[in-house]
Amino acid sequence: MLDDAEKKRYSRQIRLFGEDGQEKLKRTGVFIAGAGGLGSVISLYMAAAGFGKIRIVDCDVVELSNLNRQILHANADVGRAKAQSAYETLTGINPEIEVEALVETISEDNIDQLLQGSNLIMDAMDNFPVRYLLNRAALQRKIPLFHGAISGYQGQATTIIPGKTACLRCIFPRAPPATTFPALGSTCGVIGSIQVTEAVKYVTGTGKLLENRLLFWDGLNGCLDEMACERNTACRECSDRVH
Amino acid sequence: MKIALPDGSRKEIAEKCARIEDILKQLGINPVEVIVAKNGRIVSEEETAGLEDELKIVRFVHGG
Repeated sequence: MLDDAEKKRYSRQIRLFGEDGQEKLKRTGVFIAGAGGLGSVISLYMAAAGFGKIRIVDCDVVELSNLNRQILHANADVGRAKAQSAYETLTGINPEIEVEALVETISEDNIDQLLQGSNLIMDAMDNFPVRYLLNRAALQRKIPLFHGAISGYQGQATTIIPGKTACLRCIFPRAPPATTFPALGSTCGVIGSIQVTEAVKYVTGTGKLLENRLLFWDGLNGCLDEMACERNTACRECSDRVH
Repeated sequence: MKIALPDGSRKEIAEKCARIEDILKQLGINPVEVIVAKNGRIVSEEETAGLEDELKIVRFVHGG
């Protein structure tokens, strides 16, 4: 049940999906992989929206060069663990929710433990090898993965529902070469916001998800585009031959 | 076939039937960095495309 303060805090979005929808958000545990550019936007909007349990994981410390886009962190946080800074910002935005912020490197060894109690996974990583780990974990647990990635003015997003949609490996069979990417805060804002919107729709059962659709944002030309995708029957991660 | 390239330009090539992998090679595009849609649907490099097909090649990103 929502208390009076919660009904007031969330009153504008309760108009969208009712108190029932808000209670569903409150009961949802989310795992946010990364507290960088995408993780900042995702975690801030998820905290503000009232997702009940947020676990955010990042192994890095805040650097001055992060601050053009990583809006979870302030100038005074330079040199501090991103997880610590994230915890303070998120609980400051919404003290009604439970926030757990961990200084960890996500790996095959700890991913099961990190995902305990989480109902959905938010991809805010900066590399494909860890994204593939998240993808596999989502498939094994049959929980959704909300993918997003950015570079410069460009970004992409899709929603992966195990057993129903193409998985990340179906869409991106191979990781692109690791490079230092240019990053603009507002691109993180666009893509991270799309990912959170997808998660809200999934939990509250509203709207049409980005299922089997890869959305592209080209900020330089102000264009949104999408491509249809489908499960690859020979996918090494999600094909029936694997499970 | 008509091809939309990652830089936004367009090209038309007169291949009756070619593997996506070979088309990318011909265009000098590293297949690891792009995804290709044939008539709006993402396809693997092993697929083929013909004269009537429209390809769109997009460079996907990995940052966060």
